[in-house]
Amino acid sequence: MAGYTALLEDVRRRVSESADPTARRLASKFGYLKYMVVRYYEMLGSWDRVEELLEAFEKPLPRAIRVNTLRFGNPREVIERLERLGYRFSKIPWEHHSYVVTKAGGVSLGATHEFLLGGYYLYRGVASLIPPLALSPEPSDVVLDAAAAPGGKTTHIAQLMGNRGVVVAADISRERFRALRSNLERMGVENVVALRVDSRKIPEIFGEYFSKSLLDSPCTGEGIIQVDPTRKTKTLFEDLARAHRRQVELLTAVVRSTAPGGLVAYTTCSIAPEENEFTVAEVLESVGGVRVVKPAVEVELEPGIVDYFGIRLPEQLSLCGRTYPHTHGFEGFFVCVLEKIGP
Amino acid sequence: MRCVVGGGEVFEHVARLHGSRAAEALREYVPLYCAEPLEVYLMRAELMHAVERILKSGRFPYFAGFYAGRLRSDKPRFIPSHVLLDRLYKHIGHPVRAVKISDAGIRVVLYGRDVLAESVVECFEPVEAGEVVSITGPDGYVYAVGLSKISSCGEIGRLREKDVVAKTIFDLGWYLRSGTVPREARYKV
Repeated sequence: MAGYTALLEDVRRRVSESADPTARRLASKFGYLKYMVVRYYEMLGSWDRVEELLEAFEKPLPRAIRVNTLRFGNPREVIERLERLGYRFSKIPWEHHSYVVTKAGGVSLGATHEFLLGGYYLYRGVASLIPPLALSPEPSDVVLDAAAAPGGKTTHIAQLMGNRGVVVAADISRERFRALRSNLERMGVENVVALRVDSRKIPEIFGEYFSKSLLDSPCTGEGIIQVDPTRKTKTLFEDLARAHRRQVELLTAVVRSTAPGGLVAYTTCSIAPEENEFTVAEVLESVGGVRVVKPAVEVELEPGIVDYFGIRLPEQLSLCGRTYPHTHGFEGFFVCVLEKIGP
Repeated sequence: MRCVVGGGEVFEHVARLHGSRAAEALREYVPLYCAEPLEVYLMRAELMHAVERILKSGRFPYFAGFYAGRLRSDKPRFIPSHVLLDRLYKHIGHPVRAVKISDAGIRVVLYGRDVLAESVVECFEPVEAGEVVSITGPDGYVYAVGLSKISSCGEIGRLREKDVVAKTIFDLGWYLRSGTVPREARYKV
């Protein structure tokens, strides 16, 4: 929509015109493009918080494991097996089958007998656990996972559904799809129909079909700079605007595939408002019949951004949730739950 | 990748190999046959509606439900997946057409190596030379699928320690070694 293209252009102009010396100093100190640091000030409201964020991006990400309860009713049994390999864990209070690794064992998490053999667990970043919980799928649901590969969230959804109901896992990448198939098979998932397709085509195939839909959207990865430090310099503002356009197309298709009364969870591993609040705001306006609801998760989230470089976004976007490395201790992440209230 | 819903061939193979009681474990599933060579998926009826929508749009699902195995024109005519075998054994309460091997043996098999007589802890009839045999661990889970080199469990006692009891054709280590290569390459047969 031309309105949001113009708004993003407005943001780009303001960012490029900024000559703030603190932004220049911090960008130089931590090795970032200056436009990113200018935006962080706008998002966080103080240079102290910006510096905390940049320092947190320098630290390694904690890893978490989610025990595969499709195979093991008692997660403790798996934890004890891994503790015998030297691992130590602390329980994640808001995800009942997941643990943060506090001390690594002698064998990497991807090479233990327990990982390899029975799909005892899946290891991943902590924030990745949030979107399936925000969707709260139940055994009676028909769920769309619109960018499913390699399947971390798909297996989590299947686990939350007790392997019942239906999950349609869609993705376009052939390579990633093979990883999806491997993961589902290894973890014992059997309530998934996998479809290799451009998710923008899903409304043509299904119509308003799904009771719950997840779009873990392709993004620039601005929340996981710990994993990919090249992200400090490789993405220009124009790339953000391009990502935004694609995200709007995908989210529009996912909303259109969801039945009235259904829920859509939109998430990215980016802290960029251009990829998050601006995307949701544009879809709220262009698709209509949807509203933002608070994610039903126990983890405390920072509110969505509604005031950015003087641009006012719809107030309901404050119900969306954000995580930051310096406040949560894990990846920067965005999650927003939309309820479809009518056609 | 073309797919077809329905047809009882997979159930006939399961009944032939593992008995009619084992086939009962699959009563609530509908088969989905995809690709060439023919891969078999088994799905619960609740998935059918979504699969039908996909087929009606002129597309094909990549897969649905769980992977049950592969149908072939040569012997062995059906290679069951470890997921299917685990399910069958759970239903009937014990393995059939299987060798249980030691932890040390499992570690070797997970690198794609064959099962040697020295690793075998227990053997479950019937076994048949050239036909599929499950390779289970001490915990009872199926870790690999092989082709039997023996025609009865009694033969094992007459073998030397390093003689091959089963040629491994798929093991769970595949998921780590090459889990993202096309499935066509997954079976060594």
